Amino acid sequence: MNLLSALFSHYRRHPLQLLALALLIVLATMLWSSVSQLTAQARDSLGQSERVLGGYRQLVRSDGQALAVSDFVVLRRAGICVMPWLEVEAAAGPGRVIGVDPLAAACFGAFGQSPVTGTLDGKPFMDISQAAELVGEDNPGELTLLVPDRPLTRSLPPGYRTAAFESGPDTGELGRSFLLNLDALSLLVLLITALLLRSVYLLGQAQRAESFALLYRFGVAPVRIQLLRALELILLAALCILPGIWLGRLLAGVLGEGFARALDNLFDVPLYAGQGQNGWSPALVMVAVVSLACLGDLLPRPAAVVTGARKYWLASGLLVSGLVLAPVAASLTMAFLAVALVFAGTGLLMPGVVSAIARWRAGRESEPLVSWRYSELGVLARRLALPLVALQFALAMVLAVQALVAVFEATFDQWLSRRLAAEYFLEVPPGADSHKAVTWLQTHGDLLAPDDWYLLARGQARLPAGDTATDGTADLLVLDPLVTMITRWQLLEQTDKPWHRLHRGDGLMVNEQLARRRGTGVGDRLPVEIAGHTLTLPVLAVYPDYGRPAAEVLVSRASVPAGFRPSFESFAINPGADGIRSIVAALQQVWGGVEPELRDNRRVRELADRVFHQTFVLTRTLALVTLILAAAALLMMGWVFLSGRIWYYRLLVVWGLSQRQALAQLARLALMLTCTVAVLALPLGIWLTWVLVACINPLAFGWSLPMAVYPGFWLELGGLSLLVGAGIAVLMARQLGRPVLIPASASAQDGGAR
Amino acid sequence: MKTRALMNPMSLVLLLALLLAGCSDDNRETGFAGLAGLGQQQSRPFLQPGPGDRLNFPADFGPHPGYRIEWWYLTANLHTRDGRPLGLQWTQFRQGLMPRDADEPPPPASLWPLQAAWMAHGAVSFNGKHYFEEKLARGDLGQAGASAQPLQVWLDDWQLEEQADGRWRLQVRGDNWSYRLWMTLEGDPVPHGDHGFSAKSASGEGSMYFSLVNIAITGQVQVNGETLEVRGRGWFDREWSSRFLKSGQQGWDWFALHLDSGDKVMVFRLRDQDGTFQSGTWVSAGGGVVALAGEDFRLEPVSTRGAVPVRWRLQIPGYGVDLGIEAPVGDYRNPGLYPYWESPVAVSGSHTGEGYMELTGYQSD
Repeated sequence: MNLLSALFSHYRRHPLQLLALALLIVLATMLWSSVSQLTAQARDSLGQSERVLGGYRQLVRSDGQALAVSDFVVLRRAGICVMPWLEVEAAAGPGRVIGVDPLAAACFGAFGQSPVTGTLDGKPFMDISQAAELVGEDNPGELTLLVPDRPLTRSLPPGYRTAAFESGPDTGELGRSFLLNLDALSLLVLLITALLLRSVYLLGQAQRAESFALLYRFGVAPVRIQLLRALELILLAALCILPGIWLGRLLAGVLGEGFARALDNLFDVPLYAGQGQNGWSPALVMVAVVSLACLGDLLPRPAAVVTGARKYWLASGLLVSGLVLAPVAASLTMAFLAVALVFAGTGLLMPGVVSAIARWRAGRESEPLVSWRYSELGVLARRLALPLVALQFALAMVLAVQALVAVFEATFDQWLSRRLAAEYFLEVPPGADSHKAVTWLQTHGDLLAPDDWYLLARGQARLPAGDTATDGTADLLVLDPLVTMITRWQLLEQTDKPWHRLHRGDGLMVNEQLARRRGTGVGDRLPVEIAGHTLTLPVLAVYPDYGRPAAEVLVSRASVPAGFRPSFESFAINPGADGIRSIVAALQQVWGGVEPELRDNRRVRELADRVFHQTFVLTRTLALVTLILAAAALLMMGWVFLSGRIWYYRLLVVWGLSQRQALAQLARLALMLTCTVAVLALPLGIWLTWVLVACINPLAFGWSLPMAVYPGFWLELGGLSLLVGAGIAVLMARQLGRPVLIPASASAQDGGAR
Repeated sequence: MKTRALMNPMSLVLLLALLLAGCSDDNRETGFAGLAGLGQQQSRPFLQPGPGDRLNFPADFGPHPGYRIEWWYLTANLHTRDGRPLGLQWTQFRQGLMPRDADEPPPPASLWPLQAAWMAHGAVSFNGKHYFEEKLARGDLGQAGASAQPLQVWLDDWQLEEQADGRWRLQVRGDNWSYRLWMTLEGDPVPHGDHGFSAKSASGEGSMYFSLVNIAITGQVQVNGETLEVRGRGWFDREWSSRFLKSGQQGWDWFALHLDSGDKVMVFRLRDQDGTFQSGTWVSAGGGVVALAGEDFRLEPVSTRGAVPVRWRLQIPGYGVDLGIEAPVGDYRNPGLYPYWESPVAVSGSHTGEGYMELTGYQSD
């Protein structure tokens, strides 16, 4: 037998261990590379959007119809420099491709940079003829006609107008915050898998200690053994990382569609194909993680390694620092640092604390078997520290993610219900006079009750106080009349009779984003410039405004100066059954035959529901897979470790217990272990939930969510922990019945870890 | 040649690479960048003109989708009311990427097909200044195209159109200039070479080529906000082929001259490392057309402006012609993706007159 085969014979004897290591590396790589790919793709798409949005406008048909090739031809024949931009879902993989006509883009050169950069390789740009081939019933594509964002040199043909080529307010901020959250989550996943990896690897190394000692006695230098260990691990990593990346791409492909739709629908950020595809970066990250997790011990140790009591003082310090830092964190980075400190502190403290408590309980118990169980629990908490910490982190993460998703969904649903209380929104056509329609509606109470409609107008307001946080501008929302549909809106803070005072023009309301950024509260006087007139009005209420970062001021028509010209006007209408057609027809007549665009709010609700589901598919998948990984690793570790101590558990039978009684003791021990972890995960998970909704959300999005807990889900997680414990017990039952001649090395190496 | 980003659409156009670039690589047949794959999917080859081919009117005023390249090309020597000379150029090119029969329907426009690319050049030379603009389009959408009867050639809002009275109207609008011309055609189309097959190398490759050499033009030209009434004469070329320059050919020098005697002459020479291939056509005032072989005339540069030869000597001993040809003061490069020189010229010597000169493949182009 040569050196290599002697060294690696361990895995011949323990193939499951090798399989576990390989699986952990593959799965960790898969999770990390899929999230990396999606977030990198999204980030590049954001950059792409920002580059494009920078200098271009779009031409649209005045009749609201979709654009076609014939429109492009009409505009070009009229001498307008216009370029087609056909977005369609890519044939393979998530994201959209952009079909462009480079020949038509030539005229953009006269106005500066062409919107098209890179090559026509489908990443994301391709020739428009290739993109057009992808268009079908299931993949309709969206044609936009771009013009440079500067005055047109030719008159537009009748039937066309220019419009902003933009996808929403502060797109980048919203999208980037979402991606940052995903990154943080995937980092946590990486940390958990690194802990699992290290625990499985160290278990194997403990079992191999005698083999290494034997090799040393045969003259193999320790340095050489360590080099071979490193070589073995790097070889394993290389073999596992590649399929991991391949699986990651598959996973990204599966999750990508939902991810793309979530970005698109929730943040108006299109995900473009071919962006951010760098296979090397996740591979390098994984090599580094595997090496550090498994071979960290081979590195020179720092001079001042903290051990013993000082370690626990340090861990407590980290924990307290994180707890103190979280509520006062002024940036996302600080908030994530606080989370990292609390996790680090908890991870360092947990095994020792459990062990200490178990020893303490053991000392106080008079019943020998109970005392033995506690004593053994203390040993296991120390010996299985890494997988236990990993399971605790995974449970906490899953608990927090579930709570965040549930509370987000419930809050947003409630808010949306009130915002979309009207059945329809009826858009005032460009150039049409909304006042004519208001007059008509006021005189036709028989068709539409006075409380069943209101006019919503949007515009811009300046905040002249020189506030840099809001960039001096805010969206302006004008609502009139203030009907019940509006006064049912939920308010976060309010004065007495806020809606009544708003209606009289005695004040204004602000959204939570504005209130947070300016530190403005109810009763403060806020100067607002509308159409050149500055109004200084008291803040009557702060209202929630989810899903966007922009500051917004709400006033009634009574407060708006005569010169205000809204950028958008829409009637919210509750016509009841069959009434909408006659109202649309009547208003069309009022507006000289121009048909208004009608939006059915039920469809909006359906879309919102779909968006939420898609938004959190990735988050939930990450959390769930991590939990499964952690549970499986603990199951395996517990089994291997307890099997290593089977000779010791046999003593229970020697002491007089029946086989069944001994097994019951072991089962209770395993259940105690996993339940303890679940219980310890609970406060961490609740704290993490609070950080997500109260600290990270306001920093990322500008609005907070109410804190909520879901004990039903805790029970589900507790059930899972019991299942893992029961699984260990079942596996032990098989072990207990088999003869064991010698103590296994895992527990024998330090004398049974008593 | 100036290198640009790949996405610059001009890099797609082989046409000027063939005609104007003067580069010496062998990929002129297939030398597309960017959309090369699209251009090479054709299952059948482009047609090649040959010595036996004949012209067919009026169909040959329209497009030839079976051939790779073709153009409609007008130069005009005009004068303002106060007698100042003004030169005009309008050219529209078609670059086939996939051959198609003349009677074959195009693919649906909704597919944004790319079987052909179109390019148009417009230029005004006035008072020593040169104004130029370039336009590009893909074919078969309606954005650009041509038809024979009635004649229509258009790209965006630039358009040459036959009127009901038989006159042609040309409208071109640049950034700071524009022109609107009415053209009255005098005389029949003049075939060049062998009944319209114009050889472009000693080994026999060539194009189908004919001209309208006597066009009376009136119209308005706007330059920098000034509207000028103009009048003069023009020269219109139609030419199509699938392969022009042979490997090693560097560029060409082309002249179309209106002599005050009423005679017209077109000569060109193609340059390569080993020498030149030249040919021409003499059109007498009475309308007689004689093809000029290379040995029938001498054409040589006399002096240069930078690298561009702006003074030339043309001798046609058989017709007693010994001409000095000179571009006016100024820079007349058309600064498209493939820059080339396009200027009006004054003729002196044995005959006086005017005309146009196109020079390609000079380093400072």
